[in-house]
Amino acid sequence: MAGSKKISKEDVAELLNEWNQEFDLFIPSKDEDVAKLAKWDGKDTSFLDWYRNTVVPPKANFLPSMEEMFHFQKDKEGYHIELPSSNGQKQLIFGIRPCDANAMAILDKTFEDAYEDPYYLSKRKNTVLVGLGCTKPYDSCFCTSLGSSPTDSTNVDLMLTDIGDWFLVEAITDAGKELVAKAGSLIGRATKADETRAKEAREAAHSKVTRHLDTKDIDNKLLASFEAQDFWEEIAAKCVSCGVCTLLCPTCYCFDISDELVRDRGARFRSWDSCSFPVYTKMPEENPREEKWRRVRNKVYHKYEFYPINFEVIACTGCGRCIRQCPVNWDITQTLEKMQAKAQS
Amino acid sequence: MNDRETEQGLRGQAKALLEEGKVNYIIGYEPGSLKFTTTPLITKDKDSVDRLVISPFIVNNLSEYLTELKGRIGIVAKGCDSRSIVSLIQDNQVKREDVVILGVPCSGIIDLSKVEGLVGKDRDEIDDIVWEDSKVTITVAGDRKEFHIGEVLFDNCLGCEFSIPQEYDILLGESSSLVVDKATSREKIETLEAMSQEQRWNFWEKEFSRCIRCYACRNVCPACFCERCFVEESEPQWMAPVPRWQDNLMFQVIRNIHVAGRCTDCGECERACPMNIPLRSLTKEMCDIVDDLYHFKAGMDKEAAPLMTHYETTDPEDFIK
Amino acid sequence: MWQRTLGVAITTPSILELKALFNLLSSYHNMPDFGGGQVTPESEWEPKLLGFLCRWCSYAGADLAGTSRKKYPANIRIIKVPCSGRVDPLFILKALRLGFDGVLVSGCYPGDCHYQTGNYRARRRMAITKKFLEYVGIDPQRIQASWVSASEGGKFTEVVTEVTEGLKKIGPNKLFADER
Repeated sequence: MAGSKKISKEDVAELLNEWNQEFDLFIPSKDEDVAKLAKWDGKDTSFLDWYRNTVVPPKANFLPSMEEMFHFQKDKEGYHIELPSSNGQKQLIFGIRPCDANAMAILDKTFEDAYEDPYYLSKRKNTVLVGLGCTKPYDSCFCTSLGSSPTDSTNVDLMLTDIGDWFLVEAITDAGKELVAKAGSLIGRATKADETRAKEAREAAHSKVTRHLDTKDIDNKLLASFEAQDFWEEIAAKCVSCGVCTLLCPTCYCFDISDELVRDRGARFRSWDSCSFPVYTKMPEENPREEKWRRVRNKVYHKYEFYPINFEVIACTGCGRCIRQCPVNWDITQTLEKMQAKAQS
Repeated sequence: MNDRETEQGLRGQAKALLEEGKVNYIIGYEPGSLKFTTTPLITKDKDSVDRLVISPFIVNNLSEYLTELKGRIGIVAKGCDSRSIVSLIQDNQVKREDVVILGVPCSGIIDLSKVEGLVGKDRDEIDDIVWEDSKVTITVAGDRKEFHIGEVLFDNCLGCEFSIPQEYDILLGESSSLVVDKATSREKIETLEAMSQEQRWNFWEKEFSRCIRCYACRNVCPACFCERCFVEESEPQWMAPVPRWQDNLMFQVIRNIHVAGRCTDCGECERACPMNIPLRSLTKEMCDIVDDLYHFKAGMDKEAAPLMTHYETTDPEDFIK
Repeated sequence: MWQRTLGVAITTPSILELKALFNLLSSYHNMPDFGGGQVTPESEWEPKLLGFLCRWCSYAGADLAGTSRKKYPANIRIIKVPCSGRVDPLFILKALRLGFDGVLVSGCYPGDCHYQTGNYRARRRMAITKKFLEYVGIDPQRIQASWVSASEGGKFTEVVTEVTEGLKKIGPNKLFADER
């Protein structure tokens, strides 16, 4: 690609410090061995050695696990409502993987649909994403089955591809170009050889994705299984209805809202919720998804059927977190394959 | 525990149980979709039982499923699992005659996170893990490293006293020796007990700041069988669904108190936690408190009354004014 | 005159006394703010002790203390329960969460429980709760239990005085405060 640039891995710390002046900068980090995004501390680039992907997805930076919506006080005149103070600070996420960047684009469709969610959108508007292509996809990854790849740059502002001691740097959006400009001489010209190495790196990463799922025309194929209760009872049998898969999924967005009151003042919070929880659809009169198989079925259909119907994209990016983290190794790709086999028969 | 004969025996027994109509379901382990994992197999189909396996990776406590399945169930159970089954029988959640316990003598289950720590590689980068006698050989990119098996077993396995299931209908395989390392098994708890009160509280504040309230700990626990958990109660609301460390900690502390006397230290809660919170440092402590005070270990005797519904007139009360 | 109610749910408490008391007590100066504990200046602080008294023995004992004009610290706020066996350790922890400095559970003497066995259950629960919470990092002086019979007005005053003094020594409960 004409105009490609590169940066030495040794200069990454300096680059991050440069960007840190303008942005709240987030990098992959470990907290008791749990990989998640954390604020850049000014010096530690050791994540470049161990980083494959985070346990907690980047959605946490836009839809936090707990978020105050507003707080209020009541006095003689009535209720006074105040929004939480926001400093409009800009955010930079360094090292987001293509699957997670694609997930942000999928989430956008929900949060800018009929109702524009100001909490999510203001953060999204103020964030730039610096993507980092994978070199070591997990055995649970299947991004290549969903129209993407470990080095896909579609939904980032700036894309880095690992070519040994250097990263190839490609500006994807205007925001990306600005980031490059800020970096000054840290980011230099890439040679033809560098571009070739990048191409080889992309192909190598792509070939390392060993989990495959045929998603062609999948929404039509899935329709055949919807009513099959026996099938779903068997599929759902080992699920324990915890929320690990959904809370750690980069495209899941369900949240619960709760009000907390102490006499004359209080606040409204939203927090992550999961359709896997038995009480998720519980109402005074009934619970439409009381049975576990209905909840499991719903999760699969929401991602692979209903979301495509509404937004023309599968609400899954093949990041594999649900497969890695599930306490009972419930695997969505196995379920989808069984559904496709069922559609064939 | 990688005994082909035992596996064949298990498959034969399971098939017979289904064919003869003695059980409606078989619950066991089959190979997982990721290397070195197994996953629960819950089936009514007699041909599916050919997928049953016994290996050092059969980690789940399958008794978790007994309270949700109807009918008679043939269940594969390790030592700790069988105690959970007995505990459920004590609590009248399961009838003894409704379970056929396929007991598996267990020498310990391999903790993949310990393996990963020893070789500095993730599970999917490891070629092979082979356990022979007291050694485990881990192969990464053709390079073989040997360790003592005690270095890779789960902490609760290292403290195990009951490898043969307490209660069983059919015993599969022969008992083999346990690798006991009580010191390591209680190491994290010892460290905590040595801290000051304030340091301990700070420790738990830090740990529970990572909790996302996924409830994996609760849901994989066989002792947590309440249909409506206190944490989901809204009238009154004991804690908001918002994952503040204070409420996360409160949830786990109360959960432990509620399952006191039912917890068998199977370690599933800690293994299931995606945020690496050392939950066993709470559960094991409670097991020890209960043993110290009442000489009670969960799930040892199906005729015994559950700990917290029972009482003795001589129970300790030196702390009561 | 409120302009909007905001659709804030007014939950109907099923444990009326518990909820009412918690809400009432939020008016006291160091009640926590939906989150952790707020702490008032040292000089003003008085411990807040929550007492769960069984209706048949301990509550009657407390009544007797009152009618006998016996003095005991006003730091205790009382919730009447039918039996000490009604007390779930959840209540104790919730009280500490809300900012109470200590909790006292008081019931009938073993053998005298109006419901035969309730206090035996309470004894086991309190024993494991105290030890477990101590391990987690809560000062065991914050969780107390006593047997007070209906005729023991004097004992009740002694217990409350002793517990209150103990709480004064260990200071306010800042365990669940957001800033610690």
